[in-house]
Amino acid sequence: MNDRKTSNSFKSYVGFEDDFQSLHPGGEDSITELNPRLLPGEVVIAEAQNVLLFAPVSEQKQGKSGSLWVTNFKLTFVTTEERPKEESIQQQNLLLGGNEVCLSNVDAVYQLMGDKKRRLMPGSNVSVKVSGLHILCKNMKVLSFSFKFSPVGHGKTITNALLHHAFPRRHSLLFAYDYREPYYNFQREVCSFRGLADWERELSRTGCQGWRLSAVNQNFQLSTSLPQWLVVPQALLDWQLGDAARHFRGCRPPVWCWGTSQGAALVRMADIDPTITERVKENVMLENVRKSHPHLKQPVLHDLSKDFPTPRDVQLSYTKLRKLCAPESLQQFWIQDNRFFSLLEDSQWLHIVSACLRKAIEAAGAIQEDLTVVLQEGDGRDMCCIVASLLQVLLDPYWRSLRGFQTLVQKEWVALGHPFCTRLAHVLSVESKQLQSPEFLAFLDCMWQLLQQFPSAFEFTETYLTTLWDSAHISVFDTFLFDCERDRTLAATDQNNPLMLRSVWDWGEQFPEEDIALFTNPLYEACSPSQPKELRAQGGLPSLSLWRQCYFRWLPFLEIPGGGQAQIDLQHRQLSAEMAALQRGESVPEQTLTQVGSFFPFSHGITQPGALLASSLTLNRSFLPGEAFLDSQSLLNSPD
Amino acid sequence: MYKMDRKGSAELLNSETNHSKHASCDSLASDSKSSSLNSKLGQESVSSGKGSPSKSYSSSSSTSTENVVSTLESKIKGKTNVSECGPSSRPDDPPLLPGEKVQGVAREVTYLCPYSGPARGVLSVTNYKLHFRSMDRDTPNVLDVPLGVVSRIEKVGGASSRGENSYGIEVFCKDMRNLRFAHKQENHSRRNVFEKLQQYAFPLSHKLPLFAFEYSETFPENGWSVHEPVAELKRMGVPNDMWKISKINENYEICDSYPTVLAVPAQATDDDLRAVAAFRSRGRIPVLSWIHPESQATITRCSQPLVGVSGKRSREDERYIQLIMDANAQSHKMFIMDARPSANAIANKAKGGGYESEDAYQNAELVFLDIHNIHVMRESLRKLKELCFPNIEESRWLTGVESTYWLKHIKCILAGAVRIVDKVENHKTSVLVHCSDGWDRTAQLTALAMLMLDPYYRTIKGFEVLIEKEWLSFGHKFQQRVGHGDDHHSDADRSPVFLQFIDCVYQITTQFPNAFEFNDHFLITILDHLYSCRFGTFLFNSDRERAVEGVKQKTVSLWSFINSHMDIYRNPLYWSPSTYQQVLVPIASVRHIILWKGHYCRWNPSMRPQDPVYQRTRELLVLKEQLQKQAEECRREQQSRAARNMATPPRLASPIHS
Repeated sequence: MNDRKTSNSFKSYVGFEDDFQSLHPGGEDSITELNPRLLPGEVVIAEAQNVLLFAPVSEQKQGKSGSLWVTNFKLTFVTTEERPKEESIQQQNLLLGGNEVCLSNVDAVYQLMGDKKRRLMPGSNVSVKVSGLHILCKNMKVLSFSFKFSPVGHGKTITNALLHHAFPRRHSLLFAYDYREPYYNFQREVCSFRGLADWERELSRTGCQGWRLSAVNQNFQLSTSLPQWLVVPQALLDWQLGDAARHFRGCRPPVWCWGTSQGAALVRMADIDPTITERVKENVMLENVRKSHPHLKQPVLHDLSKDFPTPRDVQLSYTKLRKLCAPESLQQFWIQDNRFFSLLEDSQWLHIVSACLRKAIEAAGAIQEDLTVVLQEGDGRDMCCIVASLLQVLLDPYWRSLRGFQTLVQKEWVALGHPFCTRLAHVLSVESKQLQSPEFLAFLDCMWQLLQQFPSAFEFTETYLTTLWDSAHISVFDTFLFDCERDRTLAATDQNNPLMLRSVWDWGEQFPEEDIALFTNPLYEACSPSQPKELRAQGGLPSLSLWRQCYFRWLPFLEIPGGGQAQIDLQHRQLSAEMAALQRGESVPEQTLTQVGSFFPFSHGITQPGALLASSLTLNRSFLPGEAFLDSQSLLNSPD
Repeated sequence: MYKMDRKGSAELLNSETNHSKHASCDSLASDSKSSSLNSKLGQESVSSGKGSPSKSYSSSSSTSTENVVSTLESKIKGKTNVSECGPSSRPDDPPLLPGEKVQGVAREVTYLCPYSGPARGVLSVTNYKLHFRSMDRDTPNVLDVPLGVVSRIEKVGGASSRGENSYGIEVFCKDMRNLRFAHKQENHSRRNVFEKLQQYAFPLSHKLPLFAFEYSETFPENGWSVHEPVAELKRMGVPNDMWKISKINENYEICDSYPTVLAVPAQATDDDLRAVAAFRSRGRIPVLSWIHPESQATITRCSQPLVGVSGKRSREDERYIQLIMDANAQSHKMFIMDARPSANAIANKAKGGGYESEDAYQNAELVFLDIHNIHVMRESLRKLKELCFPNIEESRWLTGVESTYWLKHIKCILAGAVRIVDKVENHKTSVLVHCSDGWDRTAQLTALAMLMLDPYYRTIKGFEVLIEKEWLSFGHKFQQRVGHGDDHHSDADRSPVFLQFIDCVYQITTQFPNAFEFNDHFLITILDHLYSCRFGTFLFNSDRERAVEGVKQKTVSLWSFINSHMDIYRNPLYWSPSTYQQVLVPIASVRHIILWKGHYCRWNPSMRPQDPVYQRTRELLVLKEQLQKQAEECRREQQSRAARNMATPPRLASPIHS
């Protein structure tokens, strides 16, 4: 159907069996010089030489040759071929190169056997010859290798190394514990919500009355998954809380996470422990929540374990979605294309996104009517996080800035104990496949939908959201590495090998400035006092679309050269830069417009001429104060 | 000036004295924003109807995202109003276009809005539109529907009907909506409304003129001069060594559905052309649509050869095709793109048609592009309308969209055009395109390929030329496909072929947001007036018919209207072609094809259009202009100050520095 040739850096190896020599234009000796770039504390575990890396969906007909390594941090492929020129328009990760993936990102390993492939069990050992590997990542990236020309045993060695080291059985085997790069925490912007001060500040920022801070969970003695400081109903005494907590799953009684100055609050709590039959304590707690409302209004309870997607649903849906985004062959791609919409519907992914958005919109409606909302769910650590975060984004402009959004994730997800380690399957256990669930991705997708509906309401871009998802699979940062604050604290204070906490929000650890600049939205306008604070979002399925940048970026032939949202974004950056220059009283520099592909800055393979202008990319902050914008608006609306 | 229609509008008589200025003349522009239907979402009305009707009108017609387009639009309205509108009457009465007359008015009619519920008000019928205005004080529900969009009108309920709103009229529209009105049986208002609607929605079936022939508004721009066939060929460098302009069809002798000006291979004699015409269905010989400015590879178009079951051949036709191939020195090959599925092409042999055999046409490669016929497309759109209007069933939305096959057809057409572009651009090979008659699928393919290849067609005027040339002059049968003013709603000749083309253009604009000078409001306006019969542009089936009917003399061109206030159709993201890539190759995968909600779901207020990016960009551009002006003023100020300083001896004669 589509006979368009995609220009990329992969060489054609059609019938490469007949012409092995063509693989090594530089001769055998050049290969021995290849070495992976290692981080401090990173060690090589296995190596395979003369490996072919196939281009995505190339039917194993195009590839690059090089060497493949497994280290304690990553899977890395180093090629003899010169670095492709388009590298400059790709996001530059300082920790991982274009042909490298962090071991924590590896989701499934398949052994290629001719046209077939066989899934290899994590932790198992392969004893036969391995001629090819197919690796499926958690962020949908796909890597296919052939060891046809590798020295005997190399394929097997690397496979076994991967099967063991990509799926560690203990948390302390993750690379973060070995990483020896010194770290001076520059990241001061984002509140961690570990200490008292952050919660106090949040209480006073929202102006929500009727709640107090409690130290009842000091040293995690009440609940292991809640933070040490809890915001609880004012009238509730610590001993009452402690007594009641034991009736809830994970000892998680209702805790405040956000509120309004009118008095409505957002409260999260777990289900009653299944071993307890009576719900007295739950009612007592809810009564306390009611009393915390200045008008003693009855709170609205949303039970997220009923008629709502479960973490398991999210995982099953994600698996189906990934099939559509990582087709095994071109033929399969076109077969899927023919039925794309029904396959997408069958995946239920957008349905889940829709359900989350709708629940958040519904609950936000209650808060706007000055009713307290209580979100209840199993352990109160999963879908709760999505709905609670979305609700706050809808109602409170504070969370729509970059700093605010990171603070929100830190509060609702990290501090309140979303089990990232379990859900992202960082550590292998018997039931880890059952418990894995990319709920965080579902949340980011919801955020992306809001970004589409309100393109100037957020300080961050889709590139930021995509990057955040990628970063969840890099085992260097502690942010998404633990199930709860307690585990983190224990790891950080371990006498033998204390973990250096390295926050993912310190983006300078991962990216150069040009790439960080792409996180900020040139269209962003901070909510001015005259504007309505809430976003009136649409959550219905027909109003949603598929997040192409995040899901399709690994398929180079789906990239629109010189097109797509990326092009609009770049144009706005340029426009902003010009205006910033004008505001400084400088004349606008003559600029040639730059063309990028629609997956920019995640382009792979498509080379488009046109040097990127650093000036248009290094714009770090949205330049327009709110007032300036109002001027332009009044200008537009004024009668001539 | 408008004359009062005596029938059924006694109420209007006392209104002559009322001189309150009237709202909008441009009913369509406001109805494209869907007045009433969106009013629920709309912001608080600025004022209620009475005091200043124009204000409440525009407020009710804007969507909740009070966007710049509508702001600009209402400005334009404001300007045209005063001068163009006749003496108006009471606020209930519809705003009238020059040449528009009220034909009937019914009070106490209920419009059964599927979104905001029933609204009681006044229904008026003019020779151009149906106008409804509800009695609500705050946000009057206003409905303004050109009768050209009506495909069918039916009575609902009879004298014996019981129950609220069970007795009335249902209007089925070509623009993805149906309207229901309930009448009170005791008022006996239905019969008159029904009759007037029938007459003016289907004037041709009632021996009445189309509204375009009565409409008398004048515009500063003349749209009829947008496309000058010879000038357009000259733009492409024709005539040249290989191509000439032939006047053989000056009197439509060779082909009555072709234009008078044709570009053909320079070597072809008039006798050759006549012989080829005899072998091509309806005399539609291969003629030039586009020529590559560098490689000279061409896109030519025609109808199917009359091969028939016996496999007839024509030496002249074969030689003629060879001439087209030879006109491009870069390639010794040529592609014949048959838009149809091969099965359909074979089936056409039975009816005397068929396709070129590769034995007969040396060096020509035949490709079937698998695009289905007008009947399949009509059925697909019918399903799509069922899906999108009035309410969307959400849980099965995606499979619902898929089951209409609409997007698959769109993908198929785009993929076909991409193949043509690939051959012409990347392989420097000429392509001949045809289907059966060469006026439906062929027009889609050639026009889309040209749009992808030539940045000129991505400008507002260039796109107008493209439509004039590939669609109108080459005889796409707009009259038959749309069924202007004709009450045979189930006519098998009707089909949304042109709509599909515009949808494909929309898809390309979403993939290349910087490449087009126009925005989707421009595309929607074209579609609105495809049906409206306000302008002469899309009337009749061919240039010949339009010449006979004196369309250019007696009607206004849609391009006059559009080009007279181009600003609202401009895309603020547009990059001029000097800085942007010349050739666009959209990705024809369903993963990239999207349902054009802004068009197909536009009546549904919950499907709010999600393109406020445009608005923000416009604001930024305005702001930038402002800043630039300020900077410019500062510079001028400095210069003049410097000049002054030069003129007068410097006062700081600097004893300090000496």
